[in-house]
This record gives sequence, structure tokens and C-alpha cells, in this order.
Amino acid sequence: MAEGKRNESLMDRVWKFFISLKLAIFVIIVLAIISIIGTIIEQNQPLEKYRQLYSDGTIRVLEGLGLFDMYHSWWFLLLLVLFTVNLICCTVDRLPRVVKVVRNPKTTLDGNLEKTLGLVDRWKRKGELKALAATYQEALGGAFARPRVTENEGTLHLYAEKGVISRFGVYVTHLSIIIIFLGAIIGNVFGFKGYANIVEGQSASVIPTRGGTNHVDLGFAVRCNKFWVEYYPNGQPKEYSSDLSVIENGREVLRKTIEVNDPLQYKGVWFYQSSYGPAGASTVTVAVRDPDGGGGETVTLSPGRKKEIAGYGTISAVDYQGNFQGLGPALLVVLEKPGNQPAQFWLLKSYPEFDRQRRDSRYLSFAGLNEIFYTGLQVAKDPGVNIVWVGCTLMVVGIMIAFFLSHQRLWIRLSRGGDGRVEVVLAGSTNKNRLVFEKKFEKIQADMKAVKA
Amino acid sequence: MLNVRLFDITTLLFGVASVNYVTALYGKKETIARIGTWICIAAAVVSTAAIGVRWAESYRMGIGRIPVTNLYESLVFFAWSVNLFYLAVEWKYKNRTLGAFVIPIAFGTMLFAWTNESSIQPLVPALQSYWLHAHVITCFVGYAAFAVSAGVAVMYLMKAKREERKLTGGVVALFPSTKILDDLIYKAIIWGFPFLTAGIITGAAWANYAWGTYWSWDPKETWSLIVWLVYAAFLHARVTRGWHGRRAAILSIVGFLATLFCYLGVNLVLSGLHSYGGA
Repeated sequence: MAEGKRNESLMDRVWKFFISLKLAIFVIIVLAIISIIGTIIEQNQPLEKYRQLYSDGTIRVLEGLGLFDMYHSWWFLLLLVLFTVNLICCTVDRLPRVVKVVRNPKTTLDGNLEKTLGLVDRWKRKGELKALAATYQEALGGAFARPRVTENEGTLHLYAEKGVISRFGVYVTHLSIIIIFLGAIIGNVFGFKGYANIVEGQSASVIPTRGGTNHVDLGFAVRCNKFWVEYYPNGQPKEYSSDLSVIENGREVLRKTIEVNDPLQYKGVWFYQSSYGPAGASTVTVAVRDPDGGGGETVTLSPGRKKEIAGYGTISAVDYQGNFQGLGPALLVVLEKPGNQPAQFWLLKSYPEFDRQRRDSRYLSFAGLNEIFYTGLQVAKDPGVNIVWVGCTLMVVGIMIAFFLSHQRLWIRLSRGGDGRVEVVLAGSTNKNRLVFEKKFEKIQADMKAVKA
Repeated sequence: MLNVRLFDITTLLFGVASVNYVTALYGKKETIARIGTWICIAAAVVSTAAIGVRWAESYRMGIGRIPVTNLYESLVFFAWSVNLFYLAVEWKYKNRTLGAFVIPIAFGTMLFAWTNESSIQPLVPALQSYWLHAHVITCFVGYAAFAVSAGVAVMYLMKAKREERKLTGGVVALFPSTKILDDLIYKAIIWGFPFLTAGIITGAAWANYAWGTYWSWDPKETWSLIVWLVYAAFLHARVTRGWHGRRAAILSIVGFLATLFCYLGVNLVLSGLHSYGGA
């Protein structure tokens, strides 16, 4: 027996520990302070980067403590678990009591209750109990909320309440945190995050995840038809765009141009514009024309390759500049004509007739640079994300309910006094926003006193 | 640019209003404080016009977007929010002593903005989203509420200390009672907290839409969570015995310092995705 009791008291103590608000405040503050560390020590950087910042000994210590990926370290997760357990225990401890109070409201205003209420007023008036009760019921229904009437040993009690839901705001908020955690766990277990660099014209169906240590087969392929960058007049990038096609069973099933902030989604997998880069060598197009306006051909030049132009010579492209002396894109070409020294000169894209100045049998113009890019796509599937959004919505709703609504209660007690008149007692209470309720109470007080039988 | 001229006038108005409020406090002249209020109203009008003009000017430049996208714009928007939130509180509580503790925050912010590059730059692709509006506005209403709360918390600590020593008179005699100050610290935070929550959520939703991750523990996100946790601790502390008053006031100040670090410190000191740090 004695042992059973000791066990119970130990259990009791553990339980008391987990339901205490002090633990909640402690865990919250510790979470806040510990989270700072990961913003000072850069997380998940390559080892070389850490070597530049810290000595080998420091790196070993930080690594051992999990501080290079601290938000996923066992002790941080343990803290989150403690936080969640505390949250659940507090709810299990307090919610049933609240439900009980809400379900069985104190509908009679006895002397004990009256003493605990700050807002109480009493007056006397002539009339018959039942008739007065009906009158006040009507009046209170108009001024506040319709009351219910309870008769108890010849005394009539009216009880009305508003904003019961405010008692649940805090639980909605706490529940929302658990829902968000649940969504995050589902996303981590059943989803993936990967990255794909796709060269224009090529496609990908297997996506490396977890920094390349794992792979996910999508079951369909994504092709990058084209990638391009648009610029503002000042040269700053305006938009990165990729023209993507989804190919399933050899057929194109979806095509969309994605931009930053405008992803593509197919079968729960999202593709986000994330980066880009040059893919292999670019080519340039040069037009070869007759100064008399007749004929002409276009040739495509690859870097380091000479190209023969029949009846003229060979040309090759040796340099490109995006903005040559403020004149726009320009191409440096070398022209070799039989029996002549090689000649080197610039062609300007914005001035296609510029090369006429050589007064040769042909003139060249730079038609354009054909760059080949790869597009860098973030690829993600997160089946938990909608649960997270439900949690987030509930959190905002819960906080609003908890802060801006209050459970307001009013009682009226009617009893026959010694002098034959009816004694009226009006009392009120609120769990929040006392000042606002006091004003409301004053008004109801005046209304009730003025009401005609 | 006209908008910058208007913001400069706003800075000046906040400076004059700050002097007015502080002078009124120490000289015990209500009239001077009342003039301060009118100057703040003028500052609200001028800065609102400035934001509108700047917005319109960005459209005229062909790069139209809401003016809250670099350090300069975010600072003036912060000052704008603090001023409006303060005016609402002053009007509700009919007490102008708060002005001496809140309007200097707006003035300091505008002075800091004044030292920064003020030209209108086009938006980088990452910021071109409708989430920008919801995210920035919710965050800044939250920040403004926390600024007001911290200003009141300083008043509370001043008054509580003097009352503890059983001293009467002094500037704190003009302050509202400690009970009202304590309540006001709390009220400002319960306005700020849902907005901060919504700000973090819209930020997460935006990150998810732009990058496919709603939470990546980048320093800005982490610091916003730290701020959120500090105020969550405050809210829980208030329903615990013994945590009213002094401790709550200190938590409010700590919360605002964390807010300032989240807003400015992260960008100026740490690295991350919120790009105005380099500006």
C-alpha cells in the first residue's frame, strides 16, 4: 500500500512538472536563447568554410555538439519534444475543467458567488416576481444576451453569457502548434526536396535529394525547352524564366513557363525557378552580305573553329563583349583571306551596317549570340504542407479568439424582500477586458433600472 | 525626388514632436504636448503622402511596386507604422506622456533612413510577389506595436522605481498609473503578437511558393521565431503569479530589442535571404 502511494506521488510529481506553466515559460525562453546559436554559427556549410573560421579543435567540439546542424540535432529535437509534451499535458489537465465549466454554467447567483464578483448592484422595485423575471428576461435579451431562468426556493435567477468561445482560444492556439508539427513530420517522412540542373533541350526524371546522397524517380520527365533572363534598362535582372514541359509516357502532358515566384506543379511535385548557368560553349551567328545589297548568307560560329565562306575567306570568332565601349553587344572576329595578313575587327550588333567601312567585297554583321543555359530547379514534394497551413490558420484564429473575445457573464436575482417589494441584484463578470466590460455593465445597469414592468 | 523631400520633412516633424513631448514632460506644459500631437498628425499626413508619391513615382519609372522593398523604404514604413500606432494609443488613453518615449523611436528610425540610399530601385525577381504586401504589412504593424509596448515598459519601470522609494512628484507624476501602464504594455503586445504571427506565416507561405520550403532556419526566420517566443513567454508569464509588472515590463523591452535585431541586426550583421542588408 505504502509503496503504491509513493508511486502515485511520484507520478503525481512528474505530472505536476509537465503541466506547470513555469516549465512552459522555461522551455520557451530556453528555445529562444538556444536558437540564437544557430544564427551566429552558420549552419550546414561545407567543412572548408568552417576551416576558414575556426581552429580544428573548435570544429571538433562544435561538430560533436551538433552545432553545425543544430536545429536537427538530437538535443534540439528533444527540447521540441519536451515543449510538445508540456503543451499536451497542459491541455489534458485544463481543457476538461473548462469544458465542464462551460457545459454546467453557474446559473444561480448565490451569496458566495456574489462575494467573488466585482460588479454587483442591487435595488428594489414593486411588482410580482414572475412578471418581473419575464420583463428582465426580455430586456436583458435585448441589451446583452437572452438569459435562462432558474427557480430556486422562491428566488428567481436569470443567467446570460457571451463569448464562451474565448475560453477555447488558447487551446485552439496550442492545438495549432501540434498540427503544424504534425504537418512538418509528414512532410519530412513522405516528401522530398531535391535539385535539378536541366540543360536547354534536355530533360530529367530522376532527382537527387538530400544533397545528392539519395535519388527520387518522379515517374515522369521534365524538359527545359528554353531558359532566358530579362533585364531592366539599368542592367539589373528583372526575371528568370524557364519554359518547361512535363513528359509522361512519351507525351507532353503539361507545358508552363515558370518564373521566380511562379512555380510549376504536377502530381504533387513542385518545380521552382532557383538558379541558372551557362551550359557548355555558346555559338554566334554572323551574316555575310554583298555591299550592293544582293545575296547573303548566315553562318554559325563555334569558339575556336574557323569557318570557310565560299569565294571570300575564313572567319572565326575570338571574343564577345556584352557592352563594348557603351555601344552594346560586340563580337571580335578574325578574317583570313588567301594571300592577305589575318585581319581582326569588332562587329557591333546594334550597328549591322558598321562593317561596310572596310569597303570590301563582303561585309559582316553580328546577328546574335546563341547562349545555351541550364536552368536550376528546386524540386519539392511535401504532402504535409496543407496540414501546416491548416495549423497556421488555426493559430491566427486561436490567438484572435484568445485575445479579443472575452467570456462575459451576467446574473439577475429576484427575491421578495421583507417590505413586500422585490429585491433585484445584478452582477457581472468577465475573464478578460475588464475595463470594456465595466462600461457595458454600467449601461446594462441603467437599462435594467429604467425598464418598465 | 519629391517623395524623399517629403520624407525629409517627416523626419524634421518627428524631431520637433520629440522635443515637444520631452519638453512638455519636464516643463509640465500640456499645451506643448498638444502641439506635439498636432505635429505627429501632420507627420502622419506628410509621410502617408510621401509613401503614395513614392509608389506613384515607381510606376512612372515603369517598375511599379509597393515601396517597402529596401532598407530605406522599410525604415520609413516602420516609422510610419509606429507613429500611427502611437496616435491611436494616445487618442484612446488621452495621455500624451507616452509620446516622449515612442516618437523618438520614430525620429531615430527616420534619421537612420536619412543616412541610407533613397533612390527607387527595381525589384529583384525574388521579391516580385503579392505575398510581399501581406508579409511586410503584417510584420511592420507587429513591430510598431512592440515599439509602443517597449516605450510604455520604460515608463512603467521609471514610475514603479519611484513609487518603490515612496517618492512623489517628478516627471512620472504625469504618467498614467502603473496599473494602466502594465495593462498598456500587455494591450500593445496582444495587438502585435497576432500580426507578428501572421507576418511569420505569410513569410513561410511566400518562401514555400518561391522556393518550396516554408521553413529553412535561415537567420531571419530563426530570429522572427525568437521574437515570437519571447512574446509567447511574456503572454504566459502574465497569467503566472509574480510575473506581472516589473518582470513583464523587462520582457517587453527584451522582446523589442530582439525585434530590432530581427529587423535590422540580422541584415546588417548576419547573412541571409533578406537582401536589403547589402544596401
